[in-house]
Amino acid sequence: MAVILLEIALYFGLLSLLAFGGMPAVMPEMQRIVVEVKGWTGPVEFVQLFAVAQAAPGPNVLIASLIGYRAAGFPGAIVALAAVCAPAAFISYWVADVWDRFKDSPWRRAIQKAIAPIVVALVLSGGYVIATPSGTPDWRLWLIAAISATAILTTRLNPLWMIGVGAAMGAILLS
Amino acid sequence: MAATPPRSLTELFLGFLSIGARSFGGVLPWAHRVMVEERRWLEPADFAETIGLCQFLPGPNVGNASIVLGKRWFGAKGALVAFLGLIALPFFWVLALGILYTDYVDAPFVKAVVTGVGAAGAGLFIGTAIKLGRTLVRNPTALALVVACFLAVAIARVSLIYVLPVGLALALLAARKQWL
Repeated sequence: MAVILLEIALYFGLLSLLAFGGMPAVMPEMQRIVVEVKGWTGPVEFVQLFAVAQAAPGPNVLIASLIGYRAAGFPGAIVALAAVCAPAAFISYWVADVWDRFKDSPWRRAIQKAIAPIVVALVLSGGYVIATPSGTPDWRLWLIAAISATAILTTRLNPLWMIGVGAAMGAILLS
Repeated sequence: MAATPPRSLTELFLGFLSIGARSFGGVLPWAHRVMVEERRWLEPADFAETIGLCQFLPGPNVGNASIVLGKRWFGAKGALVAFLGLIALPFFWVLALGILYTDYVDAPFVKAVVTGVGAAGAGLFIGTAIKLGRTLVRNPTALALVVACFLAVAIARVSLIYVLPVGLALALLAARKQWL
């Protein structure tokens, strides 16, 4: 138990430091660690826990506490959430002011320009990995994903509507 | 009326609690509604700047914003209080849903619905990436970086521990050479 908690703390702490662009960007790595390296959940269950976190309010880091819960119960949930938040929180606490002071530095502008395409690629990868849990494309999941992607691009609806449509389409197409 | 920061830690906590409690479908719009429109803690431009800053830090964006703003208003205590306020209710919500899900996971109908929700969530990520990347990919260097990074992470499943430093170093080099 203590070993699992330590592993959760280390892996989710690492994810926290890699999460440029927020949680979506780090989903491929989380899936790789949780499913392929540690086997805390299966590939399909991982997507389901992601879905449960999407359906609840709050920052999407909460998927970490669900995985922690599956791996090691309530202590796992607490440790995973703390680990995925704390390193990033410390960085924000100490770096935000400094970063603000260098607003007009050419290095800051170069870093911002450099991070942007990487973040786009990682968020896109996050969507791809979650819509393709087994590694082989399933047209039904891709159809649902395409509809919600189109909706968020072309309308100003609350994303909760897309989640609802996804649930209804899942009920029709997947059961 | 000019924006006035929260006057007490209690007010700070309750403000972030109400953001967390209502943030179905995404935290950012609710953070804006509560802090800029309802409680008038921040001017709109100030809010946008703080979020923009937090997007360039690792970790959850609004979580980071709660740390940065809490610190600005009340120091370390404020950072902790704001963050706990934001996360408290959603944490129990998500655990309750998770436990409920575990009880019903064997029902094929539940599994189908939840998988559909997951795919819709994946679509939200894809849509967000397209939104962020639309103007970016007109630049051939940026397009090449996006494609290479996607192939490495999503298709070849290379760990971010390798992709992130290499990708950032290449991108930084390109940015300094004015290719981005």
